[in-house]
Amino acid sequence: MDVRSMERIVKETLSLGRKVLVEPEAKELLRLASFPVPKSRVVKDVTAALEAAREIGFPVALKLVSPDIIHKSDAGGVFLNIMNEKEIEEKWSSVILGVADDYPTALIEGFLVEEMAPRGAEVIVGAIRDEQFGPAVMFGIGGVTVEIMKDVSFRLAPITREEAFEMMGEVKGFPILTGYRGQTIKDLGAIADALIKLGDIMGRVDGLKELEINPLIVHERGAVVADARAVLE
Amino acid sequence: MRGKNNLAAFFSPSSIALVGASVSPGKISGVILESLMNSFSGALYPVNPRYGEVMGLKCYPSIEAIGSPIDLAVYALGAEAIPGAVLEAGRNVKGAIVVSGGFAETGPKGAEIEKALKEAARAAGVRVIGPNCMGIYDTVSGLDTFFIPKERVRRPESGGLSIISQSGSFAVTAMDELATDGIGVARVVSYGNKSDVDEADCLDFLADDPETKAIAIYIESIQDGRRFVEAASRCSARKPVMAVKVGKGASGISAARSHTGAIAGRYEIYKAAFRKAGIIELDGYEDFLVACKALGLTTGGAGKRIMIITDGGGMGVNIADACEEMGLSVPALPEEVSDELRSLFPEYFTIGNPLDLTGSATDESFALALSKTMSGDFYDMVIVAALWGPPALTDNLPGMLAQKPGFTEKPIIACTPGGAYSRERIRLFHEAGLPAFSTPEAAVRAAAVLSKAGVRR
Repeated sequence: MDVRSMERIVKETLSLGRKVLVEPEAKELLRLASFPVPKSRVVKDVTAALEAAREIGFPVALKLVSPDIIHKSDAGGVFLNIMNEKEIEEKWSSVILGVADDYPTALIEGFLVEEMAPRGAEVIVGAIRDEQFGPAVMFGIGGVTVEIMKDVSFRLAPITREEAFEMMGEVKGFPILTGYRGQTIKDLGAIADALIKLGDIMGRVDGLKELEINPLIVHERGAVVADARAVLE
Repeated sequence: MRGKNNLAAFFSPSSIALVGASVSPGKISGVILESLMNSFSGALYPVNPRYGEVMGLKCYPSIEAIGSPIDLAVYALGAEAIPGAVLEAGRNVKGAIVVSGGFAETGPKGAEIEKALKEAARAAGVRVIGPNCMGIYDTVSGLDTFFIPKERVRRPESGGLSIISQSGSFAVTAMDELATDGIGVARVVSYGNKSDVDEADCLDFLADDPETKAIAIYIESIQDGRRFVEAASRCSARKPVMAVKVGKGASGISAARSHTGAIAGRYEIYKAAFRKAGIIELDGYEDFLVACKALGLTTGGAGKRIMIITDGGGMGVNIADACEEMGLSVPALPEEVSDELRSLFPEYFTIGNPLDLTGSATDESFALALSKTMSGDFYDMVIVAALWGPPALTDNLPGMLAQKPGFTEKPIIACTPGGAYSRERIRLFHEAGLPAFSTPEAAVRAAAVLSKAGVRR
């Protein structure tokens, strides 16, 4: 874990007067902690986007990068599974127009062109720093189960591997990861690694208040950070 | 200042000064002095410059005037006078209990006085419990600063349970209920605003206290969470620690930007902290009392396999349902045991788990069923649901069960639902040393607490 480089990301962002790490920054931070992160490029114009997509190889994802819009997909700033150059041009203008209408004051730093992660089970792994109790990690199965049902589990960090597995077993949606309705069995070890590592990052890297991978896409072998965000102290 | 065992002055004082002693018995200081005169066997010094004598004891104008160092000073003065009094007592005192209110809980002016108290205590090198608290009720040392008359709130006998509580009224009400139920306590500490001594300090002391066999905590908020977790972990490695946290609704990170931050309510973090520290989480006042009764009368660490013996089939099934709901298991009787029971009991008894002895139950049939089902390694705990309808049942039943025929360690929990006659029987169970409850749900909650109350490896 390259703590010094991770702290540099935090400090540089704070020096810009920002309290959030946008997706590419959060992913870079996670990459420095050896999380598997998809190939990606941040681009400022459509020509660069096309070039990046060609280099990465279709299909790609196109995502808005703005420190003012933290829930990108709610704002219409995320397009997945883009298959060709024509589609990139279309989505590009549709995002620009939509955001210009809905968030006229938002600062747009650019777009992330990213390799599409293969399909898998989507889970959320997050960490917070509590004022009284210090770092804690959270696990949940992605989507509505987290937002509406609050089907999540917490532990104070650092956590052991055993605790990581307990956390997974505690959520009601757990069978989704273990072959429910003909699904394949997902790599629980990779989720455990992610939870343990998030707790370690909170313990070792100063200045992070919240750090979240949502979703972490989990495959039969391995898991990849599909989206991430961080809030600074 | 912080360190292990420097709370000894609070828990084994040989001398106590009551600062603000008054001749009027109705006042707070009067209640405290009366209690101390009854229960404390060490040297007792009323302090008040206005009197030469209080309740027949010589009264001193100041702590210094006593002429020898004092272990513990109890302050029952107006808030404004306390920082000065603590400073004046200086190093003549090791520990101070400030029962008075009027400090940080009242607003900015009170907060200033509390700050002055902290500074005075630091300068005098004295540890402080309070302010705005009830202080200590201790059956080991005989200390009782709970300023509620005994006619209103009964004091428990001596026992192995210690309670630490941010709220004085919670502690005192629980004490009254435990006393009424015949459950004893070792030490009860109400620390109020915890300007100095907090829950972690108390846990540090209680971990090493041989008189304390189990600990129950009432929490509103904790400042130094990590220190609390460390102290509680040390404690739970030696004896069961359980806690109720109130104010569950309070949200965590305000204006959180991630889902994690938004979902992480205060209570989720407290739960995680309890889990880390090996603390058994209790849900509210009722659960707190059930747990205090269970661990006040028996020891935990029993495992989750529950045997149910009853003379009322319906109640047995109700208990079995509650067990499943609370994460306990009700395994079927092993064949060898059910064969033996069939040969011993009339054919109209329902042999199984629950085991129903029906309206023909006798004291002996309960004892026999208990011995046959609990002597092997099939169950960790037994809930005996005795309905008092069967005319053959006598008041000897609790005593017979408490002998634990054929086994020793496994807890017995009694459940006796019903009206006046049944409720009076609860006391018989408690006198026999068996926790007893008037509802199936409470009995099963007690079993759930005991199943978690093993000392952590």
